Amino acid sequence: MSFDQNAFLIIFTASIISISCGLLGVFMMLRKMSMTGDAISHAVLPGIVIGFFVSGSQRGLEVIIGAGILGILATLIIDWLKNKAKVQLDASIGITFTLLFAIGIILINMLAYKVDLDQECVLYGEIAYLPIDLWITNSGFSMGPRITYLAVLNLVLVTAFIFLLYKELTLTSFDENFGLVIGLPAGAINLALMSMVSYTTVSSFEAVGAILVVALLVVPPATAFLWTKKLTSLIKLTCALGIFIAIAGYYMAYLVDSSIAGMMVAVGGLIFLGSALFKSIKPKLVFGTSSPNKPLEI
Amino acid sequence: MSDFVYFFTFQDSSIAYVVIGITLLGIGSAYVGTYSFLDKKALLGDAISHAVLPGICLGFMLAGEKNPIYIVTGAFLSGALATFLTSWLKSNTRLSDDAIIASILSIFFGFGVVLLTVIQKSGNPEMAGLNQFIFGNAIAILEEDLYIYGGLAMLIIITLSVFRKEFAMLVFNADFGKSIGYPMGAIRLIFNVLMILAVVIGIQAIGVVLMAALLIAPGASARFWTDKLSRLLLIAGAFSAVSGILGTYVSFVIPQMPTGPWVVVFLSTFAFASFLFAPKKGVLSRFIARRYYLKKTHQDHLLKAIYHGIEKGKSSFPIEEIYESFPYKKRKSKQTIDSLVKLDLLINNQGFIDFTPKGKSEAKRIVRLHRLWELYLNEYMNIAPDHVHDSAEKLEHILTPELEALLENRLNYPKLDPHQETIPRDNDEL
Amino acid sequence: MITQVESPILEIHDLTVSYDQSPVLWNVDLSLPVGKLIGILGPNGAGKSTLIKAIMGLVPVTSGYVKIFDRELKEVRSRISYVPQRESVDWNFPASVLDVVMMGTYGKLGLFHRPGKKEKKIAMDCLKKVGMQSFVDRQISELSGGQQQRVFIARALAQEADLYLMDEPFAGVDMATETAIFQLLQEMTAAGKTVIVVHHDIHSAMNYFDWIIMLNLHLVASGPKADVVTEELLRKTYGGKLNLLTKVTDIIRQKDFNPLKN
Repeated sequence: MSFDQNAFLIIFTASIISISCGLLGVFMMLRKMSMTGDAISHAVLPGIVIGFFVSGSQRGLEVIIGAGILGILATLIIDWLKNKAKVQLDASIGITFTLLFAIGIILINMLAYKVDLDQECVLYGEIAYLPIDLWITNSGFSMGPRITYLAVLNLVLVTAFIFLLYKELTLTSFDENFGLVIGLPAGAINLALMSMVSYTTVSSFEAVGAILVVALLVVPPATAFLWTKKLTSLIKLTCALGIFIAIAGYYMAYLVDSSIAGMMVAVGGLIFLGSALFKSIKPKLVFGTSSPNKPLEI
Repeated sequence: MSDFVYFFTFQDSSIAYVVIGITLLGIGSAYVGTYSFLDKKALLGDAISHAVLPGICLGFMLAGEKNPIYIVTGAFLSGALATFLTSWLKSNTRLSDDAIIASILSIFFGFGVVLLTVIQKSGNPEMAGLNQFIFGNAIAILEEDLYIYGGLAMLIIITLSVFRKEFAMLVFNADFGKSIGYPMGAIRLIFNVLMILAVVIGIQAIGVVLMAALLIAPGASARFWTDKLSRLLLIAGAFSAVSGILGTYVSFVIPQMPTGPWVVVFLSTFAFASFLFAPKKGVLSRFIARRYYLKKTHQDHLLKAIYHGIEKGKSSFPIEEIYESFPYKKRKSKQTIDSLVKLDLLINNQGFIDFTPKGKSEAKRIVRLHRLWELYLNEYMNIAPDHVHDSAEKLEHILTPELEALLENRLNYPKLDPHQETIPRDNDEL
Repeated sequence: MITQVESPILEIHDLTVSYDQSPVLWNVDLSLPVGKLIGILGPNGAGKSTLIKAIMGLVPVTSGYVKIFDRELKEVRSRISYVPQRESVDWNFPASVLDVVMMGTYGKLGLFHRPGKKEKKIAMDCLKKVGMQSFVDRQISELSGGQQQRVFIARALAQEADLYLMDEPFAGVDMATETAIFQLLQEMTAAGKTVIVVHHDIHSAMNYFDWIIMLNLHLVASGPKADVVTEELLRKTYGGKLNLLTKVTDIIRQKDFNPLKN
């Protein structure tokens, strides 16, 4: 079988995106903020549209900045609703993200003459076009697919973020009060995490769509959590699942002739549900714990 | 303007259908959503909205066209599966609620997207209408659709209204209901069915992503206006219906605008307006209440200060001395003195402050309360005399006459407070 | 019966805390001596947990202030250690015993720095002190209640502080663990540390603590145990003449604002 460069590029990029989302998603899940992650990936839409409008293209830094600002705005609004206005948390999340997403859709329609964003593309992207969308430098040299570069940059930044703040993220996810007590800037760390999620959403939306970013944020970590109780294993398994989903998703989508991103999620979903079913039948199988159960030990 | 008249006088029957449709649909969603909100499971509706997509697509694929019966059934089965899986995962894994809901939401939606793109690529011309399920388009509600969907909406509204007691029990205290013999399992099942139905009808107007707003916003807003369930439902329904109609109107006037987002904008306006301006619970109301309280407190303190001075033998106060009693609050003190003068409690005689008769008895009352409290706190709460002053200052402002009488009784009508000062009575002369 | 102390390690002045418009702590005024094992007692809802949280700066204070080592909290954080209630955390979290105990060292490490050999040694020593050294790599989801509690205490020890605040460290813990922990606490106070513990049981309190605080929305007593544990004070703490106060609290709640806010 000859080496299909296009397929490789698509799978490679999809894997990178899955890993970025998965890494952030692990911490979102541990903080019980999976739905907030969902909210943010919807809420960034107006930021994307405005950024697009301001810069005249969807390639601009403005789009990323717009998304970042909106991610933080969404987090702040949810906080305000919950703490100052005293609205239930789930309602705060629901009201905030639907309003921001609605504004985004309205803006797309109003600014359609300058902003070429397709509603469907926003929702589920189209990574199949990736190989054609090339980054051509001023001298006419083709550097390869633009989205791939964006995805790699995103992965580098996400990895750096998690590496640098690993102990802070772990501690505040486990016991935020303790973090506050020993003087960690827990609020700032939370906002920083949300900003990374916003950035990752916008970086990935062209390929997999804003909404499917949620799936990649939530499903691989949840699946991995069914299999292991060790944090390092959790992270590794999430990444491995991400890569597998990219590969399987691509080939299945090819077989069935459907959206690649959608198929990736479907594959991830099957693995997730399958794992849950399997574990409920055979609960003792786990990866990465230190010793067998010793129930009588004090 | 003519657009407005045209729209709202229903000269076009299709507009009438749309308005009726969106009203019924909105009220149905609001009712279901309010219960869900009270149950603290508001985001489950969001999950179900996304989860019905694969079912809709399958229904379409089997029917070969946009047949409502196939589509509703498909959506229903899909939604039911999602609901079932959500509970199953909760009981059988260690995953937290938010992770479960987010997973189900995105997985089912992913399946839906797969099916949707398969349909798109098959080139079936009927499929243009399917997009409407994701993004919604109330304006496109047709007459025949209205009968089915309107009927279902009516079913939801009637069931939830008639069986309010049972559903309230489900949401507030299911265990209790079970213990007194109510069939809580069946009630839960019926509720889930109604929820899925509401979603299926609702997403056609407003789309999958925004459906959560139709479910959550009305109830959350109404909650700020009342504590009674029946009124809650009414207000929620009203917010929803009005937002729906207004959103549809915007879509009518500006044809390229999709309806869904505008309905959400109006819903959110109602929501934020409620959060800010509702009496008692609203942010503004609480802020004003506090401001009022602080103002009254300062007034009382000022009156007390003057009273104390008069007890010690002064006849009237130069205004500067009063300012000195409240360091760093000169402007506030001036405002307070002006208010008290307006209330006819003080007289300002060219910079010298004095009581009016009304003012004197009011001051006496406040001082009495204060000293009674100090005595109580000292005797019964072991607070040292020099600390008693602050607490009493704060507590005295909310004592009712009944409590006052109770206090006097408890302390056996004392003459002196912990600082050995006289506790004034009404007929005492100063 | 409130005994004040010269050069106290902890001083609380007129502290009032309210949650959601209802007062939970009123006018607490006390000072505590160095190097003692201090217990906080009171019925449910008395505000004991709130008092600890207020000292740690975890809840906003309506009025009054707290001074530790005669300074403000933020200046002396590194000298204070905190053991929260066991249920405040999800023990399903993917961490090992060692991971959790090492968290105690993160305060002194600073942002971005990675924990190294030194931190690991501190953690191991602390695990030894609570008798959990053989559990180093065990996942915390596999621990019993008593073991979880000991891990929390080891984490606090790893902070290497002078003042320790513990919220219900003996709730739901077996006898052997309880005895072991108290022994440890007494060793700590013998070494000059001050330990303040929220406790639920009067009888063991008499045996273990040097100094006792009795709380019931307001401060009923604070002093050496012999002075404080009298029948009259116990009555005032656990039952008694507070109906008027409760009525006032109800009014505050009804009127929907808190007159005790500044």
